Amino acid sequence: MISLYRPGTSLLHRMPAGPKLVVVAGLATAISLLPANPLLLAAVLVAVAGCYLLAGTGIAEAGRQLWRLRWVLLVVSLSQVFFLPVLAVAANVIRVGAVVLVANLITLTTRTDRLIDALERALRPLRKLGVNSDRVALMLSMTITTIPVIAGFAARIREAQRARGVTVSPFAAVVPLLVMALKHADDLADALVARGAD
Amino acid sequence: MSDHVIGFEHVSVRFARHTALRDVSVRLEQRRIAVIGSNGSGKSTFARTLNGLIVASEGEIRVHGIDPAREPKQVRQRVGFIFSNPDTQIIMPTVAEDVAFSLRRRGLPRAEIRDRVTAALNDFGLAAEADSPVHELSSGQKQLLALCAVLIGEPGLVVADEPTAYLDAANSRRIAGFLLDRMPQQLVLITHDLRLAARCDIALRFEGGRLSDQGEPGPVIARYEEDQEQP
Amino acid sequence: MERFETRDVARIVVFAAIMAVLGLPGAVTLFGGAVPITLQSMGAMLAGAVLGPWRGATSIIVFLVLTFAGLPLLSGGRGGAGVFVGPSAGYLAGWVLGAFVVGVIVRFRGRPPVWWRTALGCLVGGMAVVYAIGVPVQAAVTHLPLGKTVLSALVFVPGDLLKVVFATIVTMALWRAYPRAFELK
Repeated sequence: MISLYRPGTSLLHRMPAGPKLVVVAGLATAISLLPANPLLLAAVLVAVAGCYLLAGTGIAEAGRQLWRLRWVLLVVSLSQVFFLPVLAVAANVIRVGAVVLVANLITLTTRTDRLIDALERALRPLRKLGVNSDRVALMLSMTITTIPVIAGFAARIREAQRARGVTVSPFAAVVPLLVMALKHADDLADALVARGAD
Repeated sequence: MSDHVIGFEHVSVRFARHTALRDVSVRLEQRRIAVIGSNGSGKSTFARTLNGLIVASEGEIRVHGIDPAREPKQVRQRVGFIFSNPDTQIIMPTVAEDVAFSLRRRGLPRAEIRDRVTAALNDFGLAAEADSPVHELSSGQKQLLALCAVLIGEPGLVVADEPTAYLDAANSRRIAGFLLDRMPQQLVLITHDLRLAARCDIALRFEGGRLSDQGEPGPVIARYEEDQEQP
Repeated sequence: MERFETRDVARIVVFAAIMAVLGLPGAVTLFGGAVPITLQSMGAMLAGAVLGPWRGATSIIVFLVLTFAGLPLLSGGRGGAGVFVGPSAGYLAGWVLGAFVVGVIVRFRGRPPVWWRTALGCLVGGMAVVYAIGVPVQAAVTHLPLGKTVLSALVFVPGDLLKVVFATIVTMALWRAYPRAFELK
């Protein structure tokens, strides 16, 4: 599983995950509340570009992020262009793009495992409400381990069906995948118990 | 001296639809114990009663002095379990994390866990893979990792349920060599590979949930093969 | 909040992984990939129907937290904190409550699934609840008035109805093939 994280040593990389989340959430909220003023929106674009420079990932990374967002932005513009004036549509599209880009700064500059650690720490005070932060962290790690295993099941089912030359009915793939996956869950549970995780 | 003794007295295991073990009584002190028998004979059930994954419906079990039904946590510290499919056994996303997982309830300082994990990975030739995602390992490496993660917990008994079933010949030799010759712990090896069973100190044979034969591996295996050849 | 046993932890984990695999390009396709629809919203319905409300919703949360933490698990390889402030953020949150409601209806009082309750559950939990959270959030994020956002969201209704039908058929087929999967304790 390739994380969206980009290694680096920038100020944003060095910032602890918790405070970084707070700062970015504040920025995103501020952007989404801005009025549809062309000058302000231009300033937002410059500020986002500045953030990407600060994160050391460069403007190219911001471009890649925008490219990934192309369908989202297209759907937003198409759904609005019949209802709203062009300036408003442009403002809304810019706001959506900018907010997403700013939020992704967290992902780009924080390792996945650091974010999971931060989350575990944030959940610790909830122990009294029955939230077991240890167990949450365990489930997150186990899921990362399990995704390639289940993807392997899907590949095997695809190959088997191709080998038999059957025209694959829509459900022919999903049901065996679920059966294999849930059997795997039972084996995994045995292993968890055997390894003393209960 | 109950330190390395496995004792079963009139043990039966019943599930909703069938009886998996019937009235098994045995006392085992050997280091290497092979368990053979056809599919569905009760071998795996026997293995799983040793660490309390399955609890006996009747009878008494003692594993190194521990009753698995009463003290499941203690018995799981004492008994390491190797499954045939390493994919089901590996819990954490990277090699070093998975080995460290075995030590997480021991209350050890972080630095000591790190040192012990590094040493164990060196032992198993996995040091270069320490930070690799486990799905990038070969099946042989995955089973080595499973073994490494079990042994770092310093169990007194290792139960291996067909540990070479998913491996090619070279990796089977490697894993079997470790379990049978290098490792000091007591071993219960459930296997269809009769050559491995032959290298143990005693063989048990299960049929239809009963312990149908036991003794020196050579004769037990010979009688088993004879029965298999008859229609 | 229910306490989860080890077996539940494993099934929650596996369902979160299934959600991820449903988003991989070409991993699981309907009609050989001729219909380009994401199966992940169907995954949310299945999670509730198979695992019940608490476990089902938890597995969706696990999946979403990993997405937030930077794994590109949403279909099309999307992921990261950005998607949680984007126009589809509400639909993602809707999957959590949706899986819960699907679980409550399909597994009403811990009963096994029957086809009509499964279809009803997927329709109410997997669609109505998801839209009820998704559409207002989309309106707020894109600054488009709510009424007009509702109109634009109608585009997705036929595809989602199809997923309700699929999820129902798959759930009932799984119930016949592997009833053990549906055990709640």
